[in-house]
Amino acid sequence: MRRERENISLRTLIFICLIALTIPFVLQACGKEEAPSKSPVESLDDLNNATIAVQLGTTGDILASDIEGAEIIQCNKGADAIQALKQEKADCVIIDEEPAKAFVARNSDLSILDEEFAIEDYAICIAKDNDELLYQINGAIAELKNNGTIDKIIENYIGDATKGSYTYESPAGLDRSNGTLVMATNAAFEPYEYVEGGEIVGIDVDIARAIADILNMELEITDMEFDSIISAVESGKADMGMAGMTVTEDRLKNINFTDTYTTATQVIVVRNGTAEEKESFIDSIKTNFIEDNRWQYLTNGLLTTLEISFFAVIIGIVFGFIIAILRATCDITGKYKLLNIFLKLYLTVIRGTPAMVQLLIIYYVIFASSGINKIIIAIIAFGLNSSAYIAEIVRSGIMSIDKGQFEAGRSLGFTYAQTMWNFILPQALKNVLPALGNEFIVLLKETSISGYIGIADLTRGGDYIRSRTYEAFLPLIAVALIYLVIVVCLSYLVGRMERRLKNSDR
Amino acid sequence: MTDNVMIKVEGLKKTFGELEVLKGIDTEIKKGETLVIIGPSGCGKSTFLRCLNLLETPTAGHVYLDGKDITAPGVNINKERQKMMMVFQHFNLFPHLNIMENITVAPVKLLGKSREEAKEDAHNLLVRVGLSDKENMYPSQLSGGQKQRVAICRALAMNPEVILFDEPTSALDPEMVGEVLDVIKGLAESGITMICVTHEMGFAREAADRVMFFDNGVIAEDGTPSEVFDSPKNERLKAFLSKVL
Repeated sequence: MRRERENISLRTLIFICLIALTIPFVLQACGKEEAPSKSPVESLDDLNNATIAVQLGTTGDILASDIEGAEIIQCNKGADAIQALKQEKADCVIIDEEPAKAFVARNSDLSILDEEFAIEDYAICIAKDNDELLYQINGAIAELKNNGTIDKIIENYIGDATKGSYTYESPAGLDRSNGTLVMATNAAFEPYEYVEGGEIVGIDVDIARAIADILNMELEITDMEFDSIISAVESGKADMGMAGMTVTEDRLKNINFTDTYTTATQVIVVRNGTAEEKESFIDSIKTNFIEDNRWQYLTNGLLTTLEISFFAVIIGIVFGFIIAILRATCDITGKYKLLNIFLKLYLTVIRGTPAMVQLLIIYYVIFASSGINKIIIAIIAFGLNSSAYIAEIVRSGIMSIDKGQFEAGRSLGFTYAQTMWNFILPQALKNVLPALGNEFIVLLKETSISGYIGIADLTRGGDYIRSRTYEAFLPLIAVALIYLVIVVCLSYLVGRMERRLKNSDR
Repeated sequence: MTDNVMIKVEGLKKTFGELEVLKGIDTEIKKGETLVIIGPSGCGKSTFLRCLNLLETPTAGHVYLDGKDITAPGVNINKERQKMMMVFQHFNLFPHLNIMENITVAPVKLLGKSREEAKEDAHNLLVRVGLSDKENMYPSQLSGGQKQRVAICRALAMNPEVILFDEPTSALDPEMVGEVLDVIKGLAESGITMICVTHEMGFAREAADRVMFFDNGVIAEDGTPSEVFDSPKNERLKAFLSKVL
């Protein structure tokens, strides 16, 4: 019953890595050089029948969906919407003015239309039943407006003349005995909230700090997708949501808003028809990885990815083996039918739903209002997911062992459990090792969705770089290469282990 | 029940679904007896053997081992099986363990023997069957006859009172049958109780104290080798012998 499998030799391994390393250069060379076409959108009237890219769940998204005949591309991030525009997948982007300015400053081929699309008020969202906090924050906002702190904070980030003029400092020796104020945000919205030097900064962050100081609380910021913020606040994962958020009818159904702390304008970004000045490849590497120590997003992300994968694999193995042994026992003895049905149900549900949905359910529903570390939640989610696959792999391994092995063990006087442990499992494991190795590789790649609950894993690390440099190419390729190298190394290790096990029974 | 009865079988029945394989077996096997069971394919002889150590659970009836009802509820069958080893048609050695480990695993883990003691015993057994040079090899490196001799050592290492042989030579190439039968014959003289299902009539005549002919789920004839082979009474037995002899 031994399965043959190609084993990767060390030489092949090095060869594959070398080939992989040349991919970026080849792809870069293939990139098109000609100037992009000018956007067909030149005024508000052109928006009908245009293709509009927006960030999912933002005011721009809500308003754009009311435009007659327009096709909407909903992106997870503002930067993705801008990318869609640059690649001519969209005719324009509707986005808040300040982030738009930041994008245009970095992309000479983009412009902001003079006509404003809409003016909106930014407010903080608070769970419906949390009137006390709402009241307190409204008081704090009023105080900060009156003493000019909010204006000073905004001027520090916006306006060429005033930029960098003021840094909000918490008063020294402040009493923080009132607990922690958890703020949910989406740190890809410069200048309101964005990542710089590994920390989330911006107008909203400074204002939130000032509010927390007034309330004598400790501020804790948790980063997530924009369209997850409201559900995070609703479920109690965060006390307040603050991410350049506008009050809308739909949102008011689920959540309360504080008083407005600032106003902003929605503008339209278009292609102006000029070619972008391309950075050289070396410069591009510098901006994406060296500047601001951005490579650290990748290394830290990689560590998180490995941490999640490693512990998830352990959970997966432990639960997978238990389930496999129980299931095999049910199959072999024909007893414990109810248990078997329950386990089958578990396997069907886990294998029949996407890992991403499971992760979100475990985070937002099962652990809704618990303060458990997100990484631990991800480990549990991926561990349970993997356990279902490992269980079926191991069970098939157990069932593949000749019945005579069971009988030999039992006839010597070993109990069922002793026979399983001493004779069946060691043989089964050897048979399924390639399949198990494959499952670990799948799991490692699957963890790339951890970003959806705001974990800064490897994929998320690449996203952070993208949201700062507005370049898709290098960060994505770098992330892909890192995954590839790890997977190839893992395959190599599995291959070696297999050969060693094979030698033992010759 | 007299003291020299090793195994007593009472009204043993076994059905698989609709098929009644054993239709009520009653017999006694004495201590030190070598019983050979013969019969056509599907007559129930292997099932009978497997019912004795409860690898198959009897549908009805009782099996007494050394006076104790091992079919009674609450009996620790694992302990009882340690007195009654089985040697299989397909050897069923553990392929992931080497020869020495195959033989010592049960004495060490079940009888609490020290590894050294178990190894010494195993070595002596291997010398007895002429395989002392194979200790560190794996089952896949051995011929069928060598594997079966190792399987016999594995059973003997537990110092059983009974050994059940389930067609021990049926899966062997003809030239290897002899080496295995020689070992079994040697055992028969050592005084251990043996029950052997086989198609080797020459061996049955030579080594057995008693021969049983199974037909259609019942014991059709039961006697000494000369009674069964030289003056068979049962018509089916006569027909069977005329085909195999």
